[in-house]
Amino acid sequence: MKRVYLGEFEELVLLIVALLESDAYGVKITHEIIQQTHRSVRLNQVHASLHRLEEKGMITSKMSDPTPERGGRRKRIFTITALGQHTLVEMKAVRAHLWNLLPASMKMIAG
Amino acid sequence: MKANPNPTPPRWATRLLQWCCAPHLIEEVQGDLQEEFDYQLKRAGETKARIDYVRNVFGFIRPFAMKRKNPPTNLLTMSMLKHYAVVALRNVIRQKSFSTINIIGLALGMTCCLFIFLWVKDEKAIDNFHANGKKLYCIYQTTTSGGKVDGIYSTPYGLIYQSLNFKKREDAEAVGLDDIKSFVPEAEKMCAYATGYELPWGHSETFQVGEKIQKFDGSRAGKDFFTMFSYPLIAGDANAALHDISSIAISRKMARFFFSSPQEAIGKSIRYENRIDFVVNAVFENVPARSSLTFDFLINWDSQMKQLEGASPYVLTMLQLKESADPAQVETKLNRFLQTRQDKNDPEKVTVGLWRYGDRYLNSAFVNGKPAEGRMIYLRIFSGVAAFILVIACINFMNLATARATKRAKEVGVRKVVGSSRFNLTMQFFGESFLLSFLALGVSVGLMQILLPVFNTVTGKHVESPIATPSYWIVLCSLMLITGFVAGSYPALYLSALNPARILKGTLRFANSAIWFRKGLVVFQFTLSIALVIATIVVSDQTHFIQNANLGYDRENLVYLTMEGEMNPKYAVFKEMALKKPGIAMVDRSTEMPHAMGFVVDETDGLKNTNTGDDAINWDGKGKNGSVGFKPASVGFDFIKIMNLKVAEGRDFSRAFATDSADAFMVNEEAVKQMGMKDPIGKWISAWNKKGHIIGILKDYHTNTLRETIKPLIIDVKEYEYFGVVIVKLEAGKTKEGLASLEALCKEINPNYPFAFQFLDQEYDKLYRNEKVITKLTNIFAVLGIAISCLGLLGLVMFAAEQRTKEFGIRKVLGATVANIVNLLSKEFLVLIVFSFLIAAPLAGYFMNKWLLGFAYKINLSWWVFASAGTSAVLIALITISIQAFQSAVVNPVKSLKSE
Repeated sequence: MKRVYLGEFEELVLLIVALLESDAYGVKITHEIIQQTHRSVRLNQVHASLHRLEEKGMITSKMSDPTPERGGRRKRIFTITALGQHTLVEMKAVRAHLWNLLPASMKMIAG
Repeated sequence: MKANPNPTPPRWATRLLQWCCAPHLIEEVQGDLQEEFDYQLKRAGETKARIDYVRNVFGFIRPFAMKRKNPPTNLLTMSMLKHYAVVALRNVIRQKSFSTINIIGLALGMTCCLFIFLWVKDEKAIDNFHANGKKLYCIYQTTTSGGKVDGIYSTPYGLIYQSLNFKKREDAEAVGLDDIKSFVPEAEKMCAYATGYELPWGHSETFQVGEKIQKFDGSRAGKDFFTMFSYPLIAGDANAALHDISSIAISRKMARFFFSSPQEAIGKSIRYENRIDFVVNAVFENVPARSSLTFDFLINWDSQMKQLEGASPYVLTMLQLKESADPAQVETKLNRFLQTRQDKNDPEKVTVGLWRYGDRYLNSAFVNGKPAEGRMIYLRIFSGVAAFILVIACINFMNLATARATKRAKEVGVRKVVGSSRFNLTMQFFGESFLLSFLALGVSVGLMQILLPVFNTVTGKHVESPIATPSYWIVLCSLMLITGFVAGSYPALYLSALNPARILKGTLRFANSAIWFRKGLVVFQFTLSIALVIATIVVSDQTHFIQNANLGYDRENLVYLTMEGEMNPKYAVFKEMALKKPGIAMVDRSTEMPHAMGFVVDETDGLKNTNTGDDAINWDGKGKNGSVGFKPASVGFDFIKIMNLKVAEGRDFSRAFATDSADAFMVNEEAVKQMGMKDPIGKWISAWNKKGHIIGILKDYHTNTLRETIKPLIIDVKEYEYFGVVIVKLEAGKTKEGLASLEALCKEINPNYPFAFQFLDQEYDKLYRNEKVITKLTNIFAVLGIAISCLGLLGLVMFAAEQRTKEFGIRKVLGATVANIVNLLSKEFLVLIVFSFLIAAPLAGYFMNKWLLGFAYKINLSWWVFASAGTSAVLIALITISIQAFQSAVVNPVKSLKSE
């Protein structure tokens, strides 16, 4: 199978989806990213990213029950797929491997 | 500002989002936006929340969230296409009779359209091949006199050329271009072309080089002719071709006849009518068929005015304007100039106008003194009719397809259940109709190749096979697409809309509307076909009528010889000798060909010059402003006898009266009526500077085609005019001997001229070339229309019979006769045909009446025309129906009832 690569922002979103477990949806993810990384992120960016991740098969989604705070509208809840998890793990492994190869001076700065 | 207790996001932004966001995303996006808004509201206040909301909305107007079609499920894969093709082909092959009906019908319709396309293209190409085409205009003339407005493309003696000395015809000198430029600065070039030397008014002229003598048709033209018009020169220079009065330009054909090669011809002299020597200055390529002017030689216009006697009044004046010129302004300037030259007291007013030269041929008629449709109408009508024929064929397809819908309904049902969308089904049915129209196109291209020679003979054109021209292929493709689309539209939309659940349950009933629609289409088909048949009958009838009408004179066995060379001086000898020869019954002469007298004196048709001089016709008791258009001719003593004209009152010309050659005039009844004379015999009348008395009144006879009313006629005896024709009456049944003796005699009397003759009746028939073409075309169209309609009818009857096989079986078992069953099947369809006839008859009557108005003498639209068209249509339809009905009626009921 063709390998699918993730962008930096996509990886972040995917991580957040995994982190939020069964409560990952648009606004929540956005707020979580802002809180955790202090980046200024907009809703539409997150939506676009989720859209792409779903296309790539990293996450799946289903509609939740209607909630009153959204004017009776349903949320789209995203959950990470096995492929998504696998990809994350693989990416982490690649990074760890690369970190190991770094010269000592760099490792010092990184703490 | 009062705070809103329950703040909401800006409504317009929400709307915007709803309008452009994809439907499957809208809910979650809106939900998220709402939640975010509430969150921001708590955190940063209403204003910030609203701004943020709007920013977010705009953030979502992005490709990923935009509204678009539902994600396409890709059904049009190769295997699916293959499947469609297989199904379509299977259908075509399984339903052999229906497919044949469809393909033949469509092919005939398409062939019709193709031929008409070729014809129209060819007609439109006429006179439109000149490189300067856009800048070329011809001047037309509008005359107003006594409330009557007439228009003509001819400007007498080159109205503009001559108007500088409008009053003095004697020293008519051509005006150079410089003079024109002085009042019309936009003019680049100008030239005249004398159409009066073309047939039928003109006649061939004789040329001689050394021993070679031959007659050629040609004309006179201004010296700029070859630089304005794109008649390519093979040898010589366009500027010098007609630069002085001794120059002549000849065609390749003429050059080949007299000289060894075109280059060889340049500078050589050529003798004209045994009188004048011209120098060949240019050789041009033979004039193509797409030129309305046809000539084998051109003589300089000035030469006509200075060296040759008499000039034809029929002259085209053409202007080449500068690129930037506005023809309307040029018109105004020309008229302003003309006004200064006109006699203010003249009751007749002349104005001129410009018309695009390339449009002259098609806009051949004048309405209110301005060029109007003319030939163009026929192009329109026949294009329309061809399109109708194709529509009739398309209707066949629609009807058969919808009638057979029940057969395919199951297929549609299954397809829908399996997941085919309506779009897919529509495309499938369109595909099938395109396949059929493609097959039909193949047939019609073949047909066209085969029928092209026939087409050329019918229309008198020289259209070559267009297979190599790209525009033809474009037409072919568009024809196929249009046909496929029109034919396929109804079945495609109708069948694809069926409800699958009902089809598969078997409860599907075709709505009455579908049946009515089918019946309506049949009525439409037959209305068109019957209307075409009526048109055919009327047109053929009228053509037959004008060709065979009693013209008031005998036109059989009459032969024309041109009055030329020694013929005039030796006329008396010729006549005496001819009468002694075998096969020749009578000999006489006339200045005009009696079957087509075009010349009119004193009429307001623009022959201005004749109005002012002494040429005008005057008579006892003529009022001041009374202007009567006369057709004049000078004839020999035996004219009345040779033509077998009837004298209504008074007496014929006679040698017994010494005064007859100087004093006698005869007029026709129409002239007496228009002059308002009482007891005309013996009253004085004057014409051509000659005053005399009326000795006899001729019964009216046709001096031209039957399109024209009989005009006043005046004739006198002048056996010395140098122009005109010799009329010879051959003895009936001895044509060969007569012509042989004539040839021998002419060689003797007129050795410098080749022997050439024309038969009057043939020449007369030629005047109706147009009508003949139209007759043939309408015949073909009517046959095609009826044939295709009947094909469709046959298909419908076949279908009806097939569906009712069981019913007929049961009926027969219970004792129905064959006649009962044929009757049962036919009645339903015959009612439709009768109904179509009721619509077609008044419609066709109206249009044919309009067409007949173009003739001064015409047949009456009597009831039998309609009756015969109606009965023939009904009969043909009945035969078509009965063939099938009979077949299904004689089937052994055992077979039809056992069929399960």
